[in-house]
Amino acid sequence: MSGLDLPAWSEPFTDVPSLARRMRLRGISREWAWGGSTGAGVRVGIIDSGLERDHPRLAGRVVQSVAVELVDGEPQVVPDEGGDLYGHATACGGIIVGLAPDVELISIRVLGADLRGKGTAFAAGLEWALDQGINVLNLSLSSKSDALFPVFHDLVDRAYFRGVALVSAANNVPAPSYPSLFASVFSVAAHDEPDPMRLYYNPAPPVEFGAWGVDVPMAWKDGGSIVATGNSFAAPHVAGMVALIMAKHPGLAPFELKAILAAIADNPRRTSHARPAKSAQGPEAPSAPPAGLQ
Amino acid sequence: MVEDDLTAALTALRAVGRRSSVARGLQADVEQRLLQSIVDATASLFDAEASSIALFEPDPDRLEFRVAAGAHGAGAVGMQVKPTEGIAGFVFSSGQALALTDVASDPRFDLEAAQRTGYIPRSIAAVPLLDDEGSVGVLQVLDKRGSPSFSLRDMELLAVFASQATTAITATRIQRDTARLLQEVLRQVGDGTMTDAQVDALVSEATRGLDDHPETPFWQLVDHVAALRGLGERDLTLVAGILEVVARHAERARRRA
Repeated sequence: MSGLDLPAWSEPFTDVPSLARRMRLRGISREWAWGGSTGAGVRVGIIDSGLERDHPRLAGRVVQSVAVELVDGEPQVVPDEGGDLYGHATACGGIIVGLAPDVELISIRVLGADLRGKGTAFAAGLEWALDQGINVLNLSLSSKSDALFPVFHDLVDRAYFRGVALVSAANNVPAPSYPSLFASVFSVAAHDEPDPMRLYYNPAPPVEFGAWGVDVPMAWKDGGSIVATGNSFAAPHVAGMVALIMAKHPGLAPFELKAILAAIADNPRRTSHARPAKSAQGPEAPSAPPAGLQ
Repeated sequence: MVEDDLTAALTALRAVGRRSSVARGLQADVEQRLLQSIVDATASLFDAEASSIALFEPDPDRLEFRVAAGAHGAGAVGMQVKPTEGIAGFVFSSGQALALTDVASDPRFDLEAAQRTGYIPRSIAAVPLLDDEGSVGVLQVLDKRGSPSFSLRDMELLAVFASQATTAITATRIQRDTARLLQEVLRQVGDGTMTDAQVDALVSEATRGLDDHPETPFWQLVDHVAALRGLGERDLTLVAGILEVVARHAERARRRA
């Protein structure tokens, strides 16, 4: 039961004052990070249920679609015309395009009619994506398979060394799931403040970032739209932000991107005089400091 | 040496048999009652119109609604859906929790299926039941009476209930697997000549007067037997050795019969 002490779901982001930080990187503002950026030139892969190419919210940004199929248990990457079997991938894609309208989307379907989200298909999709010049990968899914731990570990390291930002939704149960718990990924859970650019950094990992994931309006299957809740929908907000930064500052490594996100996060500032009370957030909660303050 | 092995093996067999025979009688009932208590608690705590648990069943692959609670839950019991379709299918196959505030606006929403249950929900929260291997099912809650949608706290709480349900399912399935394994082993060691009745008789014989105190070291062995697939070379050798001794005993029992 080693996982029980891990933060589950979005616990850290339900108590914003507790996220107060005394130290913060100076000189980094949102304006510097992504002012004027539209995500142009950044390739964002979405490993999920397959993007619905002509969904209005995806605004024609899908440039390639593949699917991982299991042939005799062996995963193979094939061209995909399947659309979105659920709506989940399209929801994530729509959120990303909403933040970064000029990104290129690559759809990698690993959930489908006969896959049941097999971890091997997921791993194969991830491995394929690392060779496609993709800059950001949105992973709103995870695997609990112990057998795949070393596989994902290797792939996540490979992504890190290639400068690919893996944005991974935290699972909702207090038990290990991969790759969201690996150190180099951007692990994301949900907060409930209805602002797509509201971002928190959690100084008590493994879940490092909090973004909007409650009652989020989003694209869904068959050109539709719904309102849904889940860490799955927090991750694409962070993926969108990362895409904006990468478009403006090409060549940044994942650790630099994380540092920028932490620097521009909306965490309240902790002063040396007043340690914030561990109370529910309220109007008295300190507002975000101007970027660049320590 | 051989006698020591035999004694150890027989004691192990008794433990396995005890667990298996008890499990055969109670397993379905216990699992059902545990799951029912979980959906009862969930429906009550959330003040929800309905709560249900669907479990994955193979051949053909499907999600089967086993238990339900709440004023509008009963209609779902027994219903089967494809494991890749709908909200339950998504949550099952992705392993990710999901809450929808306006179900009817989900173009995938299966109105006909909802009508079959006798209740059309406005909102749904669903979390996967995850064991070490992956999803085994889905826990759903429909429509909180006090609120049009589900909060993060709701989802966290639901995950705790899901984890309880998974524990209940895992425990009973280990027993079921153990029973199946024992049957197979005995059939094999009997060289295919033992009938089901003889196998049962052997199990009953082995379980008579058994001390099933949970602290006995043989319980650990029982778990090993149930988890054969996950064992390393060394453990497999040990188990193989024990089974060989059991085989000799079975052979003698067969000759005596």
